[in-house]
Amino acid sequence: MDAIALENVTKSYDGVTAVDGVSLQVREGAILGLLGPNGAGKTSTIRMVMNILVPDEGSIRVFGQLVSDETRESIGYLPEERGLYPRMKVLNVIVFLAALRGLSEAEAEKRAREWLARFELSDWADKKVQDLSKGMQQKIQFICAVLHKPRIVILDEPFSGLDPVNAATVKDTMLEMRNQGSTIVLSTHRMEQVEKLCDSICLIDKGHNVLAGELRAIKESYGKNTVHIEFTGPDSFLSLPSIASVDRFAAGAEAKLKPGADTQEILKAAMQAGARINRFELLEPSLNDIFIEKTGHA
Amino acid sequence: MRKTWLIIKREYLTGVRTKAFIITTILLPALGAGFFALILFLVNKQPSRTFRLAIVDEAGEMASSISRGLQGKLPDGQPEFTIVQSIELPSAVESVEEDLRDQINSGKLDAYLVVPQDLKQPVELHTRNSGNFSLLGPLSTAVNRAMILKRLNARGIHVDESEISGAANLQLIKVGKTGESVERGQTIGVAIALVILLYVSLVAYGILTMRSVLEEKTTRTMEVLVSSVRPFELLAGKIIGVAGMAFTQLLIWGGCLALLLGYGAVMSVSVGSGSPLSSIRIPGSLVIYAVIFFLGGYFLYSAMFAAIGSACSSEQDAQQLQWLAMAPLVFTMCIYSLILTDPSSRVSMILSEIPFFAPVLMPLRLSLQSPPFWQIGLAIALLFLTTIGAIYASGKIYRVGVLMYGKRPTLPELVRWLRYS
Repeated sequence: MDAIALENVTKSYDGVTAVDGVSLQVREGAILGLLGPNGAGKTSTIRMVMNILVPDEGSIRVFGQLVSDETRESIGYLPEERGLYPRMKVLNVIVFLAALRGLSEAEAEKRAREWLARFELSDWADKKVQDLSKGMQQKIQFICAVLHKPRIVILDEPFSGLDPVNAATVKDTMLEMRNQGSTIVLSTHRMEQVEKLCDSICLIDKGHNVLAGELRAIKESYGKNTVHIEFTGPDSFLSLPSIASVDRFAAGAEAKLKPGADTQEILKAAMQAGARINRFELLEPSLNDIFIEKTGHA
Repeated sequence: MRKTWLIIKREYLTGVRTKAFIITTILLPALGAGFFALILFLVNKQPSRTFRLAIVDEAGEMASSISRGLQGKLPDGQPEFTIVQSIELPSAVESVEEDLRDQINSGKLDAYLVVPQDLKQPVELHTRNSGNFSLLGPLSTAVNRAMILKRLNARGIHVDESEISGAANLQLIKVGKTGESVERGQTIGVAIALVILLYVSLVAYGILTMRSVLEEKTTRTMEVLVSSVRPFELLAGKIIGVAGMAFTQLLIWGGCLALLLGYGAVMSVSVGSGSPLSSIRIPGSLVIYAVIFFLGGYFLYSAMFAAIGSACSSEQDAQQLQWLAMAPLVFTMCIYSLILTDPSSRVSMILSEIPFFAPVLMPLRLSLQSPPFWQIGLAIALLFLTTIGAIYASGKIYRVGVLMYGKRPTLPELVRWLRYS
């Protein structure tokens, strides 16, 4: 059974269609990357899954049940628009939010202390939220989203505002939760995180679902159409007709090939031009390239 | 229900722990008591020294008669008036008055009284401090008395001066369903205090609710909350939580007031005199009605304030929109004197039935007289029906507003939000 299944979901506000006929399945136990440019309809989609908004058309099911106030008890949610009561004590905020999600206060406090220890925030439990740095608050918010051990976790830009060390902690925690059977929906702009973490992706643009599936399969479907060359010397060979586009960088270039192009010809042309080849590698397209190709903009 | 209870608990516990709450709870009654004490002190101390008076008697025989009528004593035993100078039948009135004016300006004299030759003409009191009304009473009494004696004398009737007493002692007795009570202004005092208390509480706690909603929006806590609580539960919890704070504060103040009044009653028994405090009796039914109307009014107005808070993204925006909820309350304050002067007039009756004004104006009427029960019942019914409607409408605006950031919505936009499914 799919953890989340959207079928032909449409939502519009005041005549503007934010989500237009989106269908999507999230496999249980997988990490799904929800991608799309700003204003694509990601937040509206997530809000409908959380039963904050009601779709105009279509249906949303969580573990086979139509979305309701009960289904969202099994979902942990870290919204992009997030914050905590600034004048409440850290521990009290965590316990309050966990209690709202059905945990007893005693159990919530016990788990909160464990999580605070894990994120090295134990000393801050009795401090006010407003005394914490932004990164610390971010970690508290992450704790609030996962404390009640939800079967599904929806994280909207979980890495924004985190330094690399904390981002790694959050990433490791996500993988650990996935390995324990949780389903995770990750909405982000950071493609490298998606490539490292996600099993499948869903790309939304202008309210439409333009690409969805297993990350592996999507990349393979594009084939190895990119050549990574590092060289010194002339670069005239990069204007060969079989090359579709070129992305230059200091040590060389990444060239995207036209369908049916022969990589050997490119190598030959480079050598004939007198370039000294240090590296020549055939690659799958990056998620970034796929994103740009599908949406027409970064 | 469990979630609403959690929201109420958080709202209440964080609310009563704030410095602002603790400070206002302690400081406001202290300030109030201070003011009260100051007023009592000033009132009691006012005629603290003997009033120096000169009498210019153009009619004759009046000056000595008037001065015999001014035998009042100050609390410290000194005479209330002293007649510095008494000029009977002056030959040159102008120059005499000139001289007296000089004495007033140099501070040797407080006032002079001119009794005209023709007693049908007005008697003039010339003084520098024309706002001193408290002395007009005993003075005019003395003058009246002297005039009556003079007229009686002129007709050959001689009476013992003591038979003509001072002013008639007119006492106001308030007739109510529960009996009669001596009125010394305490009913008006209680009525005005009630109006101010209700108005201030409705505005203050309404704005508190608005702020609390706004805080959740500006700190972006809102979306985390609405992902596990229905907006209506959140709204209800917030309003009830703030109501809990309001009642905590009012109970503390009410307790202090009861102690103060109890103390006043005890004092008056031991001292034996009618202190102004001891005559204040607040009937239990008035307290109960005031609580009912306050509750209805609080839910009505805080629902409106909460909707405004949810529609705005910043304090500034909210300040511009909060007049929507403030306007009826401010209007109430402009018109309450209409009811004070004639609580049973048709205008008073209609105004006190209108749900937006009833929370203040009906308790005011109740404190002044006993309106027919059907009018009270109707006002309560209308108020609570309107309140339910307002909470329903606010819930709709709130549901849309909490997730809206950006520019302040206009009034037509707010109305459109009401129609969202």
